[in-house]
Order: sequence, then C-alpha cells, then structure tokens
Amino acid sequence: MLGENTIKTHVAHVLGKLGLRDRVQAVVVAYETGLVAPEPRPPFDAILPCVLRYRFLFEQMVRRELRQKYKGSALGVLWYLVNPLVLMGAYALVFSVLLRVADIPDYPLFLLVGLIVWVFFSQALLAAAPSLVTNASLVRKVRFPREAIPASVATVQLVTFIVMLALVLPVALIVRDSLDPALALLVPIVVALFALVLGLSLAVAVLHAHFRDVEPVLGAALLPWFFLTPIFLPVEDMPGVGSRRWLGDLLEWGNPVAPFVSAVRDVLFAGQAPSGAHLLYLAAAGAGALVLGLLLFRRMERDLAVIV
Amino acid sequence: MLDGATRSFHVRRDRSRTLKELAVRGGRRRAQATVNALRDVNLRVGPGEAVGLVGRNGAGKSSTLACLAGIVPLDSGRAECGGRVVTLLELGAGFGTDFSGRENIYLNGALHGFERDEIEARVADIVAFSELGEFIDLPVRVYSSGMYLRLGFSIAAHLDADVMLIDEILAVGDESFQRKCLARISERMAAGTTMVLVSHDPSAIERVCRRVVVLDAGRVAFDGGVAEGLAAHHRLLGTVEGGSRSGRPGPGGQLDVVELDLLDALGSPRRVFRPQEAVQVRMAIRAASPADRVVAALEVRDGRGEMCFRSDTAVGAVDGTVEVSFAVEALALLGGDYDVAVGAAEQDAPAGTWLDRVARLSVTPVSDGEGVADLRGAWTVGDREAGVVAGGRSA
Repeated sequence: MLGENTIKTHVAHVLGKLGLRDRVQAVVVAYETGLVAPEPRPPFDAILPCVLRYRFLFEQMVRRELRQKYKGSALGVLWYLVNPLVLMGAYALVFSVLLRVADIPDYPLFLLVGLIVWVFFSQALLAAAPSLVTNASLVRKVRFPREAIPASVATVQLVTFIVMLALVLPVALIVRDSLDPALALLVPIVVALFALVLGLSLAVAVLHAHFRDVEPVLGAALLPWFFLTPIFLPVEDMPGVGSRRWLGDLLEWGNPVAPFVSAVRDVLFAGQAPSGAHLLYLAAAGAGALVLGLLLFRRMERDLAVIV
Repeated sequence: MLDGATRSFHVRRDRSRTLKELAVRGGRRRAQATVNALRDVNLRVGPGEAVGLVGRNGAGKSSTLACLAGIVPLDSGRAECGGRVVTLLELGAGFGTDFSGRENIYLNGALHGFERDEIEARVADIVAFSELGEFIDLPVRVYSSGMYLRLGFSIAAHLDADVMLIDEILAVGDESFQRKCLARISERMAAGTTMVLVSHDPSAIERVCRRVVVLDAGRVAFDGGVAEGLAAHHRLLGTVEGGSRSGRPGPGGQLDVVELDLLDALGSPRRVFRPQEAVQVRMAIRAASPADRVVAALEVRDGRGEMCFRSDTAVGAVDGTVEVSFAVEALALLGGDYDVAVGAAEQDAPAGTWLDRVARLSVTPVSDGEGVADLRGAWTVGDREAGVVAGGRSA
C-alpha cells in the first residue's frame, strides 16, 4: 500500500531533481524534450475519415441550411423545379420554334436534362461563395471544421438536384423509352459531379472570404459559361462547330461541366452509356477538383476567423 | 496553454482585400493600422484549474480565449489546448435561428464535436437546467437575449468538456440564473473541467476562480491569487486624480466637495497604500451660498460595496471654500480595493444620500490574512511544557 503522502514526496523529489516548479512544467518539459510527442494534425486528412468523423455535425448543418432555405415559402423545394422549367420553356420556344436550329426529337426534355445539371452546378457555387461570410458568427466563435459550411451548402443543392432527377427520370424513361443497363451509371456520374461541385464550392467559399469580389465575378462568369456549355444543343450541332473539329473538342473537353452534361444526357435521354473517355474524364475532374479545393481551403483557412 | 503568444490584427475600415487592390498594388499590402491584441502572453492553465481573465475593454481577453480555442491562429508562439474544448464566446453563436431550442441543442453539440447519442443522453438535463419550459420547442429567433444565454450556457455546461472557455456573457442572465450558472461551473470544476472565464463581475470571478490573470494592452499584467488579481485589475481601472463623481449627488447643490485627495505621510497624493501606512483624506468643500451647520462625512466601502467604515464631523459655518481632512495613522485595511466616498451637507439633510465624490483606494496585498480589516494580531504556538517554540506576526 502506498500512502498519498508517499506519492507526493516522490513527485516532489522527481520535480526537485529536474528543477521544475510543478507538474505543469513537467508536462511542458516532456513535450520540449520529445519525451511525449503532441499528436500532429495531419496536413491533409483524407476526405472520407473526415466526413465520417464529423458526420453528425455535417448532418446538422445540412438540416440548418435546408430549414433556412425553405422557411416560409409555399412551394419550398419545388421552387427549384420552377426555374429550370421556365428556362426549358423559353429555350424550347427560341431554338426549336423561332430559330429552328434544333432538330432534336423531344427537344424540351433534351433541354431539361442539361439544365438540371447546370442549375445544380451554378446554384451550388453561387450559394457556397458567400457561405463563410454569412456564417461569420459561427466561424469567429466556434471551433469546428470550417469545410462543413460550404460543404453543407453544396449538399443542400445536391438534395434538390436529386429530387429533380427523380422527377425527370420517369418522364425520360417513358417519353424516350431509354431504359437501359447504362442507367446504373447515373450513380457514379452524380457522385463525380458532386465531387466537382464540392471541390469548387470549397475553393470559391474560401476565396470569397479573402477577396470579396469572388462572388460577383462568379455571378458574371456563369452567364457566358452557361452559353458555352452544350445545354441547348449537342456540341457537334453548335453553330460554327461543324467544320472545325478543334472548336468542338475545346467546347466539350475544355469546360469541366460539358462532359457531365453530355454524360447525364447520354444516360437519361439517349439511353446509352457515355464513352469511356467521358467516364474517365468525369472521374478525373471530380477527384481533381475535390483534392485541389480541399488543399486550397486548408491553405487559406488559417485566418478565417479574423477576415470574415 | 499559451506560450509566447503574439497576435496582431490588421485594422481597416473596409475589412477585406479586393481583387482590384491586389491587381493595382501587385499584392503588396498597404500600410495598415495594426492592433497588437496579444503581446508575448504566457499562460499555462493546468488541468482542473479555474482561471479568471480580467482587464479593461480591449485588453486582449477575448483574443486570448479565441487563440486558446484554436479559432484564431497566432502570429508567433504556441497555443495548445488539450482535450475536448467547449467555448461560449458569443450568445447564440451557431444557433440556427429557425431551429427550435431543442434542435439547437443537437446542432450546438455537433458543432462542439459531440455525437448524437452523447447529446441525446443530456437533452433532458439541458432542457431542465435552462428552465425554458415550453419555449424550448419554439424557434430561437423569438428568444430574448437572456433566453439565448440560458440555452447556450445549459448546452455548454452539460457537454462533458475537458476545457470550458467562457467569455463575458453571463451578465445577460438574471441574478438567479447567474447564481445557478456559477454553481454549475463549480460542479464542472469538481468533475475536473478546466475553466477559463472572462468576466467583469468580480464576485463571479471570486466565486469560481482560484487564480486571476490581469491583461493590460495585450500583456499579462498580473498572474496570481484572486484577491490580489482583482486589486491589480482595479488599480488599472483606477479613477482619475482627485476622485470622480459618485453618482450620488447632493440634495440641492448648495454644498459641493470640489477636491478629494488621498495623501501619504509626506503629503503627496497617492492611490496605493500598504497596510498600516498613514493616510490622510483631504477634501475641499465649497458652499455656493453661506451655510451655517455643515457636516462632512466619509465612507469606505470594499470592492463588493460592503461598508467598512463611516464617520462624519461637524464643520460649522462655511462661506466659500474650506478644507477638511481625515487623518488615519495606520491604515487597518487588508489588500484590496476600496472606495472612499466623501460629501458635505447641511446637518438636517438625509444621511447617506449626499456622498458626491469618490476616490479609489488600493491597498497592496499582504501574504497572510484574508478579509477586510487588518487586526494586527500575532500568532503564538506553544508546547504546554516547553513553552513557546514558534511565533509569527500575522497581518
């Protein structure tokens, strides 16, 4: 049996021999001499363990975003369908009735499939860009992985995207009779698209926190970007492309959104599998955007609490 | 633990850089006004310790907490904080305004890194502690700031944190809830939680902390016991020379104390005295119109406002200005801060309402003896047979 005082005496002797004042100093010395190594924060956590670890936080944040987004509106999530439907109507009118450039069967559906991909992409970026700044009180006063903010904003858009896919899918299958085993590819395509959107969302959010012009610049860039994306016509039918192959390649491969639009359209509208090159591109673009977005975020998040 | 922590903030009117500026200036930063919020702050808080952080507005208290919590990175130095940290830095930080109080318990718990089952197990306790009743199921945007505090504190105090960092927010609560908070903090400390508390309320610090750190202009001005720390803090806050208005004005403005000085044995004005030193309180009374039976009074109260001493004297007729002094041969007060309030009135004026000038008197702490009065006692310890073996004077 050891008495409490015996222990205290021993501790006092140990401290005395080391020339230390108290146990706190002993801990400090232990760290300084390398006797105990502080657990280093890995500079780049893999995304998956990170997500798993903060799953509950993430879920809560997404719920909060959803609630804030749809409070008090009668149509709620359906508003997101209204926007592409109106666009679909307008472009169908312009391209297939007035200009007669589009000679595609079921043209409104063709448009709609491309539009929902674009709306997801653009709305997620536009919502993510100011997200860190609008959640300033959170960033300044609580310590938690800040990636959760733009990620939850992007996820809310993913939810609406999936709702729209679920609404468009049966229509496409019936109208186009496009049921094909290739439909199963829709899942990895959506995953890759989400990775792309998530990576870019992280990047624009942290950039906007540092440079407040990012959001307006993004807003301005998205409009021409929209017209350069093969949404209302397939790339090969776009005006001026016919004779110049390089232009078609540039429009298809130089714009990271274009292959996603093509792939989703292949599966939903044409009922065929996208080309191998497309699938490879989607995987690379999704993974690349996510890794780069995360790296950029980690690099620039240091002073977030001060600058937002 | 903060080790040589230095943090400065760039202070600008427009808060962030813009791309235009970046392009025009090629990325170089314009000379910016900087505020050194923390300058080489060393602070080690051991496990289970409770430290009160005091200081003037802008002294760096909140910055210290933010750096400790790892929210704000340091320019140089190290900040480490072991275990699970729960912060309560701002009312309602991280609340979803359209969430009900109950949903916010989950959100807030998640923000502090707790899992669903950990939070679920505590929801009932949190709701009971907050005393919010049916409000718990209403969205928090209808809450008052006191209710925000009730919810925020209840959540923070029931998560099993190893470290709790609390900024000055308790002040919003009503008195009974403040008492409850302090009691809960003591409970958490007994359970081994480390606590760093920023407060302007000395009694709150006194109740829960064993150690006080005084910050001044980003530096540690004092680190030690609670009584001495609070005294040092009050010295920093010190009132201007000559005393200041007490907020208890005379009845008719007929008689005024126009000067108030605390003088040492050599007759020079001082603010800080040692116990047993000679102190002279000198005041000048001016009568706007001739008064016959004037009374001057003096009152000494301690930091909590408890009266320690009160005395008055007949001054007689006053026409113009007279000087009245109250001489203390040996100051029988222990370390701490005291308010010396003086006033003058006609004899039949209601007492206690006309002490219109107050000066802060600080007494340097002595190593032994606690309380207010310095009784100058001496201890003796004796063996019944061998007589006195040890003795020592106490303060």
